Amino acid sequence: MRRMAAESRRSQMLRGVLDLCLLAVVVDEPAYGYEMTRRLKERGLSTVGEGSIYPLLGRLERDGLVATHRAASDGGPPRKYYRTSPSGRSALAEGVRAWRDVRNEVDSVLAAVEAEVA
Amino acid sequence: MPPYIEECRREWKRLGVPDSLAEEMAAELEADLAEAEADGVSAAEILGESDPRRFARTWATERGLVPEPQPKKNRTWMWITASLVLLVFLLLVFPAFAIVGVSSGGSETVDVSPVRRAGPIRVPKLLGLPVCKAVVTANIAGLDAHAPNGSCSALVVRQKPRAGAVVAGNTAGTSFVKLWVRPARG
Repeated sequence: MRRMAAESRRSQMLRGVLDLCLLAVVVDEPAYGYEMTRRLKERGLSTVGEGSIYPLLGRLERDGLVATHRAASDGGPPRKYYRTSPSGRSALAEGVRAWRDVRNEVDSVLAAVEAEVA
Repeated sequence: MPPYIEECRREWKRLGVPDSLAEEMAAELEADLAEAEADGVSAAEILGESDPRRFARTWATERGLVPEPQPKKNRTWMWITASLVLLVFLLLVFPAFAIVGVSSGGSETVDVSPVRRAGPIRVPKLLGLPVCKAVVTANIAGLDAHAPNGSCSALVVRQKPRAGAVVAGNTAGTSFVKLWVRPARG
């Protein structure tokens, strides 16, 4: 029960920043959907919680925060590649600033109880 | 093509997503799932959603290919507004219809129930008024009005209790006025 609650909380927290994580993994080099999942894992985000990255990629595309193109992959079918667009870079920078502010504020509040929990 | 993706395609078709875009999304998903499977990653981990129709709908909505569903809150407000309109109709319009019905009714006497008032009621002067107007006037005062059947323009020639009399309100037995009428000339 507690594990499920913890998973749910993690999922909710991720929901607000997963778009930033996706923008971050294709800011330098484009990638297709599954490749992005792989990059997230390599950087430490093993699961993206409830839901999938595809609807989120759809929203980023709709909002013009990623540019897309189709290209052949290594030996496989042509894939749809995503890359952070210029406006996506601005949104990413702004989002990272906001995330760090929130993280620091929450850390300040939670620091007092950390010892008790530990 | 895996059944999950087939189901997604059906849902996109149902939602009116253009075929070329549905094809693109299906191909993207199929290639990613195949690669994930080869890596030993489950489809559930990639899709995160066991219901293909919901998954397909969410994806298409987020891409802006189908209109977003109305927030529930708005529907709630719609229902509240509709209920209020209905309530106003029942409180105001329905009694008005009942009164108008008096003039065209075929019954022997008029019997319209007014909103009952607590406390004493002073009987208004109804003599000389057309019967329909007299009935409305009596109702406004909080009285039932009993009159013989006839033309709406028939004139009240007698009333009981008399104008100015005070009757107890809020009881069906005492708060009514009986009208006698004669046909209007002409």
